[in-house]
Amino acid sequence: MTSQTQAVVTDADDGSIDPAAQTQGLGKQAGDIVGFSPGQLMWRRFKRDRTGVLSAFVVIFFFAIAILAPVISKLYGKDPYTLYGQNNSDLLNEFGYPVAPNGGVSSSFWFGIEPGLGRDVFTQLLYGIRTSLFISVAVTLATVTTAILLGITSGYLGGRADYFIGRVSDLLLAFPSQLFFVAFMPIVVAIFVDPQDETPTYLRVTALIAVQWFLGWMGLSRILRGQVLSLREREFIEAAKVTGASSWRIVRRELLPNLVTPILVQATFMLPGFVTAEAGLSFLGVGIIEPTPDWGRMFAKGGDIAQNDITYMFFPGIAMVIFIVAFNLLGDSVRDAFDPKSGR
Amino acid sequence: MTVYMRRTKATLVAVAAGALMLTACSSGGGGTSKNDTKDKQDQNAKQQQSQITFGDAAASTGPAEEVPGAKPGGTLHALERDSYTHLDPGQIYVSNEGQLATLLHRGLTTYKLDSKGKYTVVGDLATDSGKETDAGKTWTYTLKDGVKFEDGTPITSKDIRWSVERLFAPFITNGPAYLQQWLANTAGSDYRKLLPDGPYKGAHLPDSLLQTPDAKTIVFHFPTAQPDTPYLMAMAGYAVVDSAKDTKEKYDKAPVASGPYKIKSFESGKSMTLVKNTNWDPKTDPARHQYVDTFDITFNHQAPDSTKRLMSDAGENQTSLSFANAVDTKSTPTVVGTASIFKRTVSGYQPFVGQINFNMKKITDLQIRKALALAIPTKPVWQALGASYGAEYAGGYISPTLAGYQKSDPLGKVAKPDGDQVAAKKILTDAGKLNTKITYAYINTAAGQEYSVAIADALKKAGFDVQRKDLPSDTYYDLIGKVDNPYDIYASAWGADWPSTLTVIPPVFDGRTIADQAPNYSHVNDPKINSEIDRIKAITDPVKAADEWFKLNAYITTDVIPGVPTVFYKQLQLFGSKVGGVVYNNVTSGIDLTKLFVNQ
Repeated sequence: MTSQTQAVVTDADDGSIDPAAQTQGLGKQAGDIVGFSPGQLMWRRFKRDRTGVLSAFVVIFFFAIAILAPVISKLYGKDPYTLYGQNNSDLLNEFGYPVAPNGGVSSSFWFGIEPGLGRDVFTQLLYGIRTSLFISVAVTLATVTTAILLGITSGYLGGRADYFIGRVSDLLLAFPSQLFFVAFMPIVVAIFVDPQDETPTYLRVTALIAVQWFLGWMGLSRILRGQVLSLREREFIEAAKVTGASSWRIVRRELLPNLVTPILVQATFMLPGFVTAEAGLSFLGVGIIEPTPDWGRMFAKGGDIAQNDITYMFFPGIAMVIFIVAFNLLGDSVRDAFDPKSGR
Repeated sequence: MTVYMRRTKATLVAVAAGALMLTACSSGGGGTSKNDTKDKQDQNAKQQQSQITFGDAAASTGPAEEVPGAKPGGTLHALERDSYTHLDPGQIYVSNEGQLATLLHRGLTTYKLDSKGKYTVVGDLATDSGKETDAGKTWTYTLKDGVKFEDGTPITSKDIRWSVERLFAPFITNGPAYLQQWLANTAGSDYRKLLPDGPYKGAHLPDSLLQTPDAKTIVFHFPTAQPDTPYLMAMAGYAVVDSAKDTKEKYDKAPVASGPYKIKSFESGKSMTLVKNTNWDPKTDPARHQYVDTFDITFNHQAPDSTKRLMSDAGENQTSLSFANAVDTKSTPTVVGTASIFKRTVSGYQPFVGQINFNMKKITDLQIRKALALAIPTKPVWQALGASYGAEYAGGYISPTLAGYQKSDPLGKVAKPDGDQVAAKKILTDAGKLNTKITYAYINTAAGQEYSVAIADALKKAGFDVQRKDLPSDTYYDLIGKVDNPYDIYASAWGADWPSTLTVIPPVFDGRTIADQAPNYSHVNDPKINSEIDRIKAITDPVKAADEWFKLNAYITTDVIPGVPTVFYKQLQLFGSKVGGVVYNNVTSGIDLTKLFVNQ
């Protein structure tokens, strides 16, 4: 918790438009009257929301295991690439399914063995989560940045720029992103990869991020445009204009702080969306391919073999459900915290 | 025939999520199942290895040997994946259509499968499997008495001549081209010049090629020796067409039947009903029966669908079966592991032999090919096809379904399906070729991705620099079929057209046939193979020829190494509890339809 004085300083830095906060900042000798910035208020409200805090911990946990996957894998003593089941014929039966019950879950294979290739499910899942989260975070950052730039530009400038950006986003909205990716990937491979070489994983990842970014920014951009359109007619913007503030300053100091709420809320909803979209592409066989571990592909395989080894689907499946639910609840809580009047 | 791998359609993620709630835990996969499976398999293999013989007049006389316990009457329901695109004999090449043709069409010869599991090529419309003179160049057939079309008109030599001549017409594009090529003595589609319009504008083949001296006699004069003629005449593509009722293109949807069943109704892509052909005389037919009253066939049943229905064995499913669908690989462990279901299965071979081709144009060093052949594990492929119920480790390129099959394992792949990466690495080290770059093109399906990982992993262990290259499944064969393709190794499969090595080694290994999309995917051009092919083709004694083919197979496998044979394709088929007389026929690669009956 920041001290009162710091709060006031932060307050001013945030360029808050709340006139009450400004007044309180001026009267800092007022003693009992404690002033909070909107950020602090939001944080206080958020902390009171138990579901929100719990989901935040779950989400942080997922990010932590994704980042620490190599460390965990080292401590655990197995990696996601070695074909344990192929190297040791006692682990899988003739159909390629684990001999031991429950998908081969044992003290040495905590989450069991993957049917067929016989890799370790636990490390596969850790690295799979890592792959999916890395891609999704990158896509989210890229789309949010693009949406902010284009949304504010089109809302603030209006006129021709607005028209042009609006039509481009209409056009892009009309593209089905999964189909686009299916069609796009062979072209990328043909252009960048020698036909005798393996398609490098980084190229696939880059292409995945690029396509999802390219076709993913329009929603947030439109929301921001609408917000900016209504904000720019407000008195405080007029006032800033009258005092001779540059457009850049108006955007940065007057508009952006007011857009933090929709941006944060949308981003927390977009990220799980991108996780499932990436999983969906891998599920369809066009995303990340073997042998790179991938959450979505584990899911696809789980569904495929569910008849004979239902256990395999549990780990990626439950992990995915928990993650998506937690992230969406987090998004809800963040929204509620920012704007307590909505949805209550 | 080339196998085009089917791509299973991906279903929704939601389905997978929903299934999570269903069961709490699963039982173990258990070790290798040890029930009566093994006996069934062995028996099947033994049945395979017997020599296929050409039957004489006595063997070709009807009626066919009774199926024990067979009762006439009843309706059988067939659950098929694919609708029949072609019903005109001249257009039939695909195996499921060939299988149906055993009920509808008759040719000069056919395969008789007896109760001991022995296959014989016998005369069908003809009195025997063919009389050979002039060192295999001239083949004479005499028609039986009492053979008729479904409308009661007798089948004469005129119909046989018509059936052969119409194969040269431009609208016949899908059937086999062997007979036409043999008569015209050409390769490719040049044979069409012999009779450009077929018989439709009054032109006919000269007597020097095809002679019909009377209503019952047909004589083929081939320019070169064709000892496989009895096999050829048994292909559905050379079955008889009614010369008086030939409607050309339209015949493909409504053919005139000569076999025990005729088409009552056919809605392409939906359903087909077959009823008894009353003008079929059992006394003329040595191979077929007519126990069932009606066959009710419905289409668009994918393997998981047909398998689940037949496993349930409820209601109408008791009198159901699938002519061509195999048990869904995912269900195989359950089917095999449940005694009550397993007793309702038959299994046998498909004609396909899988191999991993080495591109001979790029990998010219024999030592590298040897190291590749040693290192590549065949087990991942075998497992992907459903273990011992979908595949059998192959030692050579000649399938057990071929006449005179001999078990052999010259590369040691059957004994060591995991491959021998240590020995391979030694060869590479001795040759100073460690870290040779190998571009491994694989089909980008879920199964393809998986087994390619296992194979690439083994090759890396053996000291290769492996580059896995994913190719889209729909254009896979087009891409590897190019002569100047940039890949080093890639998988393919080839199936024989009839049970003789003549339809395997010459198309796949003759260096003079190398062309884009030709089945010589390895681009083998070895002078010894080429000259041996010519020599063995001229041998008229089928037993001796089979023996020579096997010697050539051993030479190709161990001395040329244009690839590594992986598996012989097999399949497991399921039927309802009230379906009787179910036998697997390796020649039509599916359930033998001519012996079925209903247990009421």
